[in-house]
Amino acid sequence: MMHTLLQTNPLEGWFFSSGKAFVVVGVAVLILLGMAWWLFRAEFRLREMEKMLNSKKNTPT
Amino acid sequence: MKNTLWKALGILILVYVFAMTMLVPLGPGLLEFQDVNQVIESTREGRAVPEFQVIGFGTHWDQLPDSLQVFVQSKGQLAALEVIRVDDATHATVGLTLPYSLPAKSWNVLTNHPVDGTLLLENGLFLSDRFIDAKATWPAPSFIEHSSQLGLHFPYQPRIVETIRNLMLHVPLWFTMFLLMGIGFVASIKQLSNPRNQRDDDRAVASVQVGIWFGVLGLLTGSLWARFTWGAWWVDDPQLNGALVTVLVYSGYMVLRQAVDDERLRARLAAAYNLFAFVILVILLMVLPRFSESLHPGKGGNPGFNSYDLDSALRAVFYPAVIGWMLLGTWMYLVTLRMKRVNRQIELLP
Repeated sequence: MMHTLLQTNPLEGWFFSSGKAFVVVGVAVLILLGMAWWLFRAEFRLREMEKMLNSKKNTPT
Repeated sequence: MKNTLWKALGILILVYVFAMTMLVPLGPGLLEFQDVNQVIESTREGRAVPEFQVIGFGTHWDQLPDSLQVFVQSKGQLAALEVIRVDDATHATVGLTLPYSLPAKSWNVLTNHPVDGTLLLENGLFLSDRFIDAKATWPAPSFIEHSSQLGLHFPYQPRIVETIRNLMLHVPLWFTMFLLMGIGFVASIKQLSNPRNQRDDDRAVASVQVGIWFGVLGLLTGSLWARFTWGAWWVDDPQLNGALVTVLVYSGYMVLRQAVDDERLRARLAAAYNLFAFVILVILLMVLPRFSESLHPGKGGNPGFNSYDLDSALRAVFYPAVIGWMLLGTWMYLVTLRMKRVNRQIELLP
């Protein structure tokens, strides 16, 4: 099946010459950077919350 | 600073991995040695011989077409075939100039070219109409073996072809799942040895939660790979079924946690379940498939990529991929763990 596909429509030539490979890399990197941004942001918020909780814990009632 | 550095490093490694995975071209290979069912005049033999077409993938036969050589090889015997003409970069017409008596029916086909180097198509030629004489021999042809002049490229593998790029996703995702479930396993042992310590229970549940995601991604990338190489989204294979059962067993861990209200009882039950889940993971993914026939590489006598298929170009991307995915998985686990601890603290607030 793969052989027939490759003979009639050479995947490599199409994938690289049409620039689709760059689009795929671009999308993948965007998702990855978005995920990194989300994780850094979550960590920042968690740090703030931890600080707030610690200060509440240390406040005498 | 140190805390941020390894996370940024993990992301940078994965950016490198994605770029290399998608942009490094695939090396040349041989797709088919096709019988055209015609005869063609051979100048070397001075008679009409069967016409065959050799079909390459990513080859460069139109460059230096006169230098293309085609051989067939079986049982230590090598015979040069006559290249009648090079049609284009990936197609060449060949005359089957072989004697009537042959030592074997099945032959490997080889091409030798200054740009592509030597390429092999295993059992590419099967001749059923010849007289088989195991002792038939002829003098070995003289030739200069060329090595590939192409730059960095991934190796061509029959059937796998372009999908070899999936190696950088599928395998490291499973490795990361193993790492995370291993963290959960250690945390569960600690939890059982010290039931009052809730922190180990948090560690176990955070690692399993993130690990399941990596397992699901491993299943999806595996299924996609199976579709292109084996022709089906799912095949009845011990490795595939084992992977699915493992993910389901860990999903059961999450369901179990939801079913018990008492915090201490939940932690102990979940820890005990998690120990069994990890043992099941090891048995189903690492032990059982090795004792049964499997299509999956590395199982049942089917060689894995690390034996001889993983060349230096693949290693330069695969090893960083393993490190990158593991760093990302660890980061996700740490964030999930901190979320759980903050939630617990909020719940305890008066």
